[in-house]
Amino acid sequence: MKISAHLKIVGRCLWIFMLVSGGFVPAVRAQNEGVPQIKLSTNLARARAVEDLTRSALTRDYGLAWRSLAQAFESGSPAVLDGYFVGSARKELGGAVASQRKEGLRSRYPLQEHSVEAVFYAPEGDVVELHDTARCELQVMDGGKLIHDEQVVLHYVVLMTPAADRWVVRQLQAVSRF
Amino acid sequence: MWWSITTTSATPKSLRAGVLSIAVVTATVTGWAQVQDVRAPATVAAGQEAVVSTAGSGDATFYLVGPGRVIRRQVRLGQEIRLQPSQLRAAGRYVAVACADSCRHTEFYVLPGRVASLSFLVHPSRAAVGQQGVLSGVVLPFDQYRNLVLDSIPVDFELKVNAQDMGSRTITTQNGVAWFRANSGSHAGAVQLVASVGDVSVRRVIQQVASDPCNLRVKAERNAGIIQAETEAVRDCAGNPVPDGTIVTFHETSAAGTSTVDAPVKQGVARAQMLAAGPAVITVASGVVMGNEVRLQGQR
Repeated sequence: MKISAHLKIVGRCLWIFMLVSGGFVPAVRAQNEGVPQIKLSTNLARARAVEDLTRSALTRDYGLAWRSLAQAFESGSPAVLDGYFVGSARKELGGAVASQRKEGLRSRYPLQEHSVEAVFYAPEGDVVELHDTARCELQVMDGGKLIHDEQVVLHYVVLMTPAADRWVVRQLQAVSRF
Repeated sequence: MWWSITTTSATPKSLRAGVLSIAVVTATVTGWAQVQDVRAPATVAAGQEAVVSTAGSGDATFYLVGPGRVIRRQVRLGQEIRLQPSQLRAAGRYVAVACADSCRHTEFYVLPGRVASLSFLVHPSRAAVGQQGVLSGVVLPFDQYRNLVLDSIPVDFELKVNAQDMGSRTITTQNGVAWFRANSGSHAGAVQLVASVGDVSVRRVIQQVASDPCNLRVKAERNAGIIQAETEAVRDCAGNPVPDGTIVTFHETSAAGTSTVDAPVKQGVARAQMLAAGPAVITVASGVVMGNEVRLQGQR
């Protein structure tokens, strides 16, 4: 075959690849959009060492949990929490979102940075405790009026357990300090 | 708020009066409501009443933003705002905001109460006897509102086999968690693990099962051209009978060749029949354990 024919084939392959990846990359970007920055350290976890894959999964799922939390409070829809919150955390956050909507309020967490330390990983891997130092902005709106706006550092004690295909937050409890 | 309108003239005296009137109109439009301060105790126990005090004059809108609920109501500045126990059940950070012409806020934390329940996770549900570190348990203490109790608390663990105490230890929680590892015992049967904090206790049961067969012994005899082989009672090294269904492999070697029979343990023993006319050697094995060897003379 002539060189020009080869180049045509290569060009067509590149074109097809760009078409396919052009659809794939935006999908990945959309999935990660709005996910806050999570820095997870697992060196001090007691009882069991955290595996690399588990650390990656915890980082991903904790970030997605906080994204869903922010979306739930901004939209006033407790159902948004269902993907990453269970048990006490789901019940309490759902109650807060529902009562907020009932009072005509909205909350926003536009900026979030989480420095997370795993402090306990159960011997059989069925629960992990995290300490989250969260730097975020909290805005509370009453209708269109901003009634509260603060840049704040919050401390959370978090319990996560493995679900079918992800880690979920079972307890999210703010404390004044660790 | 209410309106009043006063006419003014251009003279200096009336100009001052006009400014005063405008100020009065402005004041009455806004109602003079001004939040000067909002105060609350630094911490409150979960499920207890709390009082938020405000300084200022006029009416204001009060908001309480907490982990489990949000409250909004009209209040009179300068008067105390009582928060009900049902509004402060969830432990965490609460923000109290009072808004009139501007907003002022304060924060406080609700702390968990005393331990009212324990989450006790135990693994595995079945464990072989004589294994090192095979049992594990994790305890998480909660108050009556399912808040994780983070104070250091001693948790008592007891191990019982057939209602007999086999040991106990006390472990203090760290960051709201107490955990342990333990060896399995030497006897098969139900092992009861009890975790308790004060008068709150939780019980879990682990089934200890026999380990691998040990001291495997077989006897064999020839009867009308058929070799009948049978093991003695198959037990592990601690003397626990292995469960029925455990596979025992009988192996026969003779001049004609070799044959193998896999037989399950039934009622504690395994049996097999093999065909061999001449002299034969019978051996038996199960798992990684080999038993004795039986030599049979040829059929006469």
